Amino acid sequence: MAGIQEVYELVEKGKAKKVAAAVQEALDAGCDPTSILNEGMISAMDSVGTKFKNGELFVPEMLVAAKTMKNGVAVLKPYLAAGAAGAAGKVIIGTVAGDLHDIGKNLVAMMLESSGFEVIDLGVDVSKEKFVEAFEANPDTKLICCSALLTTTMPALKQTVELLNSSPFRSKIKVMVGGAPISAAFAEEIGADAYTADAASCAQKAKELAA
Amino acid sequence: MLTAKQNMIECMKGGHPDRFVNQYEAIQLLFHPFMFVSPLLQPGMENVKNAWGVTSTFPKGVPGAFPVHTPDKIVVQDIEKWRDYVHAPSLDFSQEMWDQCKAMYDAADGEKAFKAAFVAPGLFEQTHHLCEMVNALTYYIEYEDEMHDLIKYLTEWELKLAEGICSHLHPDMLFHHDDWGGHDSTFMSVNMFNEFLLEPYKEIYGYYKSHGVDYVVHHSDSYAATLVPSMIEMGIDVYQGCMETNRVPELIKKYGGQISFMGSIENAEVDFEDWNDEKCEAVVRRVCEESGNKYFIPCIAQGGPGSVYPGVYMSLTKAIDKLNKEKFGIEDPDSARMPIQIMF
Repeated sequence: MAGIQEVYELVEKGKAKKVAAAVQEALDAGCDPTSILNEGMISAMDSVGTKFKNGELFVPEMLVAAKTMKNGVAVLKPYLAAGAAGAAGKVIIGTVAGDLHDIGKNLVAMMLESSGFEVIDLGVDVSKEKFVEAFEANPDTKLICCSALLTTTMPALKQTVELLNSSPFRSKIKVMVGGAPISAAFAEEIGADAYTADAASCAQKAKELAA
Repeated sequence: MLTAKQNMIECMKGGHPDRFVNQYEAIQLLFHPFMFVSPLLQPGMENVKNAWGVTSTFPKGVPGAFPVHTPDKIVVQDIEKWRDYVHAPSLDFSQEMWDQCKAMYDAADGEKAFKAAFVAPGLFEQTHHLCEMVNALTYYIEYEDEMHDLIKYLTEWELKLAEGICSHLHPDMLFHHDDWGGHDSTFMSVNMFNEFLLEPYKEIYGYYKSHGVDYVVHHSDSYAATLVPSMIEMGIDVYQGCMETNRVPELIKKYGGQISFMGSIENAEVDFEDWNDEKCEAVVRRVCEESGNKYFIPCIAQGGPGSVYPGVYMSLTKAIDKLNKEKFGIEDPDSARMPIQIMF
């Protein structure tokens, strides 16, 4: 439908100020709210993620697209069935203890949210115990994503994953790790379920793991 | 044997270097008075506000300080009114302060090393220090005019700083920080980068070069291969911090003679808890083999001599010395350079 296509284009181009009106118009024209979300917004963010991964778009474009989607969802939310906006599942995310980097973590959080996940962002410098406490407060969480951007905080990442691996709820979650010094081999060595190199790949992998 | 400085000049011009330039051996990083007014944080210092009003923290065991951007600590609370929040600190220093810095310049051996003015942060970094990273990157799209104006304001301040540095201290090299990317990509597209940063940097680096500075070294420990043509246009002579993801040997083939590349030794590969001399030497041998000793300086990627784990930087230095002895017969490199400087 034309209304959904317009929402898609606005999200893809990051027109944050125009999207609210476009979503409202689509609703007024009788478009299904869930279709506006899935085909208009989440699909657009998938496209943005792919272009980011391929080097066609950069962080600023991705940020304004995510912001646009957020503005659109704010209009759409009252019309959606409860929980539809986070239908893909709940994710806990944070940068590990001793590490204050947040750009990559924020991008991953935005891409996850834009892919239909409900994201609980614990921020930066997060102790391993806080990840566990966050799960205990949100036992329906499907994924825990931890990042480390420094060689000096790789041990903290390892300790966090070790604690998660020894927790009684381990079978209920998948653990993903990322960050500049992290590799797939390191992820495997410390017992994480997956490593991805960028935010778009993380969102794709998260969908596979949460399915 | 050439002095370390002569050897670096030969390396940069593609002449006859008689060995590999060894990391920062030919660059003596020197301070200017503003660095004492708004000092760089030391490890362990938390929530320190600098002269621009930016709050930073330097946790122990990390390579550098981070701006703290809890909502209350973001300097620019409203980008449309940035002038209400951003107040450039004074650059009027007493003659005594300039003299103290000049004494450090005079103490450096100008035959063995460049006297390099250290300037950080750069324009892009300053925008995200003031606005917060996500905000700043969003503003580059949504508030283009305001960002152009903010960068112009920061550029004018940098030019005034340059005027003071050149007239009082007379450096022959500039070592300027501004991180323009992450490990695998630049923060912004080439078009956006050029639109916002090319002309201001041409102005800043042009000023230094027309006032006695022979070489500009720009630090960005990141991927930035796509920005190399812009770097050349800006007047950058050495791109320091280039990570291996830039495919340095290809860059040397393509741009050697116009710019040199200093780096390829990523902290993540050598600077970790269980580092050892063998691992450092293996990385040194590999990058030197791949890139050669013209237009390339093997160096830890971080923006100054040192490492997160004590000993790593010197281990790399010794590995390059060892290679220089094996390959070029250099027996006593210390006699041709100043004592190795460790800043971090």
